[in-house]
Amino acid sequence: MHRRRFLQGMGSGLGASMFSWSGLMTPKVFAEIAKKQQKRCILLWLCGAPSQFETWDPKPGRITSGPFGSIPTKLPGVHFSELMPQCASIADQLAIIRSMKTEPTEHFQAIDLLNRGAAPRPPFVRPTLGSVLGEQLGQLESPIPNFILLDPCPEGNEFKSFKAGNWAGWLGAEYGPVRLGGPYKIPDVHQLADITSEDHEEREALRKFFSRKFENERSSAAAASQNAAFERVRGLMSCADLFDLERLPQKDRERYGQGTFGQHTLLARHLVENGAPFVMVANGMPWDCHVFQHEIYQMLVPDLDNIIFQLITDLKDRDMLDNTLVVMMGEFGRTPWLNASRGRDHYSHAWSLAMAGCGIQRGVVVGATDADGIEVAENPFNERNLFATIFTALGIDPYQAYDLPGLPTFHRVEKEAQPIREMLS
Amino acid sequence: MKWELEKEIKLPTAALGLSTLPHSESLLVSCFDGSVLRVDPRESTWETLGHHQSYASGVVSVLDGSMAVSAGYDGVLQWHHLGSGKTVAVEKIHDFWSWQLKASPNGRLVASVTGQYLCGGERYEPAQEKEPSIKVFDAQTQSMVAQISHLPPVLSVAFSPDSRFLAAANMMGDIRVWNLKEQRLECSWNTPDFTSWGVIKSHHYIGGIFDVCFSPGGEHLLVCGMGPMRDPMAGNGKQTWQRFDWRRETPEKVGEIKDGDRGRGLMETLSWHPDGKVFAMAGRMAQGSWNMALFDAQEGSLIQGMDNKTRITRSAFSPEGTQLFLTGSKSQGEPKEGKWSEFGRLMIYQPVPSDEKTPPSEASEES
Repeated sequence: MHRRRFLQGMGSGLGASMFSWSGLMTPKVFAEIAKKQQKRCILLWLCGAPSQFETWDPKPGRITSGPFGSIPTKLPGVHFSELMPQCASIADQLAIIRSMKTEPTEHFQAIDLLNRGAAPRPPFVRPTLGSVLGEQLGQLESPIPNFILLDPCPEGNEFKSFKAGNWAGWLGAEYGPVRLGGPYKIPDVHQLADITSEDHEEREALRKFFSRKFENERSSAAAASQNAAFERVRGLMSCADLFDLERLPQKDRERYGQGTFGQHTLLARHLVENGAPFVMVANGMPWDCHVFQHEIYQMLVPDLDNIIFQLITDLKDRDMLDNTLVVMMGEFGRTPWLNASRGRDHYSHAWSLAMAGCGIQRGVVVGATDADGIEVAENPFNERNLFATIFTALGIDPYQAYDLPGLPTFHRVEKEAQPIREMLS
Repeated sequence: MKWELEKEIKLPTAALGLSTLPHSESLLVSCFDGSVLRVDPRESTWETLGHHQSYASGVVSVLDGSMAVSAGYDGVLQWHHLGSGKTVAVEKIHDFWSWQLKASPNGRLVASVTGQYLCGGERYEPAQEKEPSIKVFDAQTQSMVAQISHLPPVLSVAFSPDSRFLAAANMMGDIRVWNLKEQRLECSWNTPDFTSWGVIKSHHYIGGIFDVCFSPGGEHLLVCGMGPMRDPMAGNGKQTWQRFDWRRETPEKVGEIKDGDRGRGLMETLSWHPDGKVFAMAGRMAQGSWNMALFDAQEGSLIQGMDNKTRITRSAFSPEGTQLFLTGSKSQGEPKEGKWSEFGRLMIYQPVPSDEKTPPSEASEES
């Protein structure tokens, strides 16, 4: 059930039940149920574009295979790269698309496309997946941000340009991400020792009064955004501890690996467990290996393999997998052929991604590429099919119209693109 | 005296390993497709001696040219009898790749280095080794005579001219020299000038020392790679060699490529001319004017740089010093009309007087 609807329901019909089940159905228990039933999404954003050959679609024995072999998975006849033994062991929990076929071959345009689900049509700015899901699955009044982006690498070249862009589009700044990373903890969100709580509340009431007044009198979007930012900071102050990795069990931290991507993924699990509807985990853009392809993948892919395994296993063990959608993708794939530096270049013609969890069929491989991985051989899917699948899996209408003043009608997913039915449970 | 391209032979896939043979004009070459080849450069033909399950990263000749030994990214060592052309022994020696294989100058030992770069810390520092990073084998008995620890991945290895010492270097710029006979670490030091940590794009390490070799007298150790980059994916660190006096109480850098002599790009191979007065360094050029260059051993200055628009992986002078052999690859490129290009290269250079220029028998072709 949608968290907002569930909580609305609690205020009416379910309220009576609370009394008759008092002691058992305490507000705390309701809160726990609500948390568990809330739909959420974690996006492991593999920025830079990982190679399908060294992950989900190996081509053993072919000239395009690279130096790594392949291994069987829990799904009969399905092989992953030998660098992914842990994912191979939970292949029955995953859904793989091996036939993504998209247009842009440059990072910025492709990152934009795979985050928004459609190419730009100015002046309309389509909100990113995180903003849409934050708006649909979250609550504005929630102290936990509805869209959290964990990324410790501020200098990500093309990704940096995207990060500086307009994530929320027409939805407004309040649906943009709260971006964190690096030292994990949120700095400067603790109330100063020499200010009492009363003082703090009074100051905030005064600030809110004047800024709302300004916002109303001037119709100022900037003031509205600033108000949203203040509200967000106040929310963060109340839940700053949730972002503190040091409060998590050391064993969990060790399981996810010592690198920042693993630690951030653990943090993402912790945040969705505590009510965050959407967390995006990125790590700069390490997958863009035009040189040193295999020298870097020997480290990156095993790290990713472990991270995915730990996350999916944890969500399953916590009864959260049915309500948490996990998407693991970059902006495109890599070329079947090697360049002069023995790296793989950008390739959007035939590439792979993986999903698991909420609304997603378990243990399926959809689509296929040809023997050398050059062309999609079966069932090509594009970004619209992907977004229709994500929205459908989360119970969100993929085709909702966006009627905005002075603009044509836009839809959440354009052209009535169909979700990938084989991916849906 | 200028060196010029005499011949270029196309091979089906990238050529990684290279070795000359003491009593033959044939060459040993190992390739991406796992094949280990004996190439007749006069005829531009080859026979396959063996096959690895992944890239064949190295091949050497031992026992006065009677045997070839190859290693691969399958972690396997193969012994090939050159008289019969047959593979006589196959042994899995590493859990991960053999990054490099070298033979001792006396032809009695071979050493292979390995190690996977796995995340070992928040900054993606390499994790400690899971298996010994260096293994040394007796060429006669094919048995292992030493296994030595290092911090993986260990990318390069070399024997001293008297075959008594072994040097190995890794991605983090750690260089170690062991006394093989006494089985002890002789010295250990670090040079930070070959390793990148991604300031932008990717927070991890990359690079390292891609080749090491002793000077002909054994007193110095020469290492190569490329300088640090802000973006570890760029491949545009400065082309770099450094020379160390490893016998001092604290090993000391005694030479380095001059800034004005170098461009940018990964340098993967070093080789000494038999006269000991010149050494060659080669790899890939990202910016600059050469990807293969000859240096004056005494002064360290550039004698001649050449751009053959190829990523060179191994180099070797002929025993008489009259030829320089290089193996490498062009871009693989996408298939045309269903056919993949032959992107491996074996290149042969020879010295010609400055006023005499001979065209190569096969024109260099940029893919």
